[in-house]
Amino acid sequence: MKRSPLQTFLLYACVVVTLVIILFPVYWLIVTALSTTVELSGLPPSFWPEMPQWGVFTKVWNERPIPLWLLNSALAALGSVALSMVVSVLAGYALSRFNVRGGHGLGLFILTAKMLPATLLVIPLFAIFRQLGMIGNLWTLVLAHATLIIPFTTWMLKGYFDTIPRELEQAAMVDGCSPLGALWRVILPVSTPGLAATALYAFVLSWADYAYARTFLINSQDSWTANLGIATMRGEYTTDWNEISAAAVFVALPIIIIYLFLERYLVGGLTAGAEK
Amino acid sequence: MASITIDNVHKDYGALNVLKPFSLEIEDGEFVVLVGPSGCGKSTMLKILAGLEPASGGRVLLGDRDVTDVAPGGRDIAMVFQNYALYPHLTVAQNIGFGLRMRGMSKAQIERRVSDAAETLGVSHLLERKPKALSGGQRQRVALGRAIVREPQAFLMDEPLSNLDAKLRVQMRAEISALHNRLGVTTVYVTHDQIEAMTMADRVVLMRDGVIQQIASPDELFRSPTNLFAAGFIGSPGMNFVKAEIAGGRLSMLGTEIDIDRKRVDGRKNVIVGLRPEYMALGKTHEADFKIQPTLVESLGSEKYVYFQDPHHHASGGGDDDRSKGLIARISHSGVIAEDQELQLSFDPQNLSLFDPETEQAL
Repeated sequence: MKRSPLQTFLLYACVVVTLVIILFPVYWLIVTALSTTVELSGLPPSFWPEMPQWGVFTKVWNERPIPLWLLNSALAALGSVALSMVVSVLAGYALSRFNVRGGHGLGLFILTAKMLPATLLVIPLFAIFRQLGMIGNLWTLVLAHATLIIPFTTWMLKGYFDTIPRELEQAAMVDGCSPLGALWRVILPVSTPGLAATALYAFVLSWADYAYARTFLINSQDSWTANLGIATMRGEYTTDWNEISAAAVFVALPIIIIYLFLERYLVGGLTAGAEK
Repeated sequence: MASITIDNVHKDYGALNVLKPFSLEIEDGEFVVLVGPSGCGKSTMLKILAGLEPASGGRVLLGDRDVTDVAPGGRDIAMVFQNYALYPHLTVAQNIGFGLRMRGMSKAQIERRVSDAAETLGVSHLLERKPKALSGGQRQRVALGRAIVREPQAFLMDEPLSNLDAKLRVQMRAEISALHNRLGVTTVYVTHDQIEAMTMADRVVLMRDGVIQQIASPDELFRSPTNLFAAGFIGSPGMNFVKAEIAGGRLSMLGTEIDIDRKRVDGRKNVIVGLRPEYMALGKTHEADFKIQPTLVESLGSEKYVYFQDPHHHASGGGDDDRSKGLIARISHSGVIAEDQELQLSFDPQNLSLFDPETEQAL
């Protein structure tokens, strides 16, 4: 059906409005980074600085331990992704395929766990980690993030596995695979788009965390993640918002790059062709 | 190649008994078709044979080997699935060779056997493609290739043609039969389509509600159904059923009277009579004749389906056919037949099937 000019106009108007809403904070972040402190406190605010301060990025990179923070964030995120994926691939597959007694209830229990706010879970986690003498260690953050991520990723992967015809692994088993072999050789390769999307989601969850990092790592500066580090840039009397914004750009960049890299997996429909 | 023995196999899901005790001897090289309506337990039986579902009881033997508790990969069987279940991330060659790779065969051997299998099925030019770049018929051939390349003891096929269009289905049906004749591998084939069952099988196992109704060759199944369900399921259009009364050794049906063997009806006063649409002929060509008023005439070119009503029509019975339109006569090479114009039909009483109205068993 051909769209009328009015429909086309409304469609594009909706797209533009959505884009503006989504991209404005990003634009404002960059404007803030490039503005001088004086410009930032001016009213009305200007939508583009008169003299963009490009030097702020090198200044922040050189004066603050941004590379260390990014490295810590990356280690925590990669560790959480690896741990969460191993657990949730097996759990999601089991929930999708096996009729275990109480399996449905267990699935719902996991679903409830992901509805609890992180701030609620952080208290018992802190108590446990302190008992075990694990406070201040980056790998503690990996464990903590995994507890946050696994409920989400298990359900995401269960949903993805549900879309893969059972006959695929049955065929693999008739061809000589064990059930785990069929998962490894057939189901996981076929699930690449789902795995990529889930891993990216897990990465972002860990990367974006502040509450857990603040609770478990505040006293060990060497282990600070980027978000925690940026938060400490706020001074007691003055705050250089342009520097904080420049640092925030550095934190946002890796996510954007990873997304661009994984994008083709995210939209690919590899299972097309498995069925008739 | 091997014979298959199914010995008292049954399957329960809790209190639900989906497959009643099932015993069947399948000879080496035989082509057996399990046929029946949806939910009759035929696919469950096939999955039990493949080892994909555990049986609740009973034994499965492949040749002399008890495989009841053997994993699917250890049974030396190959299976073709309804949706083909081709591995979408592998090329056609890798799909066909997957089972050989799992069995640790050398790369050179795999290549040789994959290319032989591909040649047999005419898919040699597709070896480097992925399944999504294939048509339905090509996918079907690759799925068959994956089965034959392993040279297994038996083939299990689960409605392999149901996703194809009508024309391709007829073509692939013939190809599978030809392949079976050439390779001579014991084959168990599941379908709900009685035409596939009739055209391909050495023996047909007709099932309903987890119970075997009849095991017979296609011709015997057509000529001598053991009960009302078997009579109605096999044949297209399905068999006509009318309730008939017997008095003084004569059976009255469709407004005519026929002499009947008293021993056969064993003193019954009422029976259900089955008459296949193709056993009726135009005019007074046979012994028993009757007049009808056609309510609908469907022309298929070479033949016509003439529908008519009878107050004693027994509308229930096996098969997917819609019996609500009335009784059907299948008339070949007739001239014009008009609706509402009286027509004389006749049949040979030898061709009648009789059933007990209570037990629905053949008499």
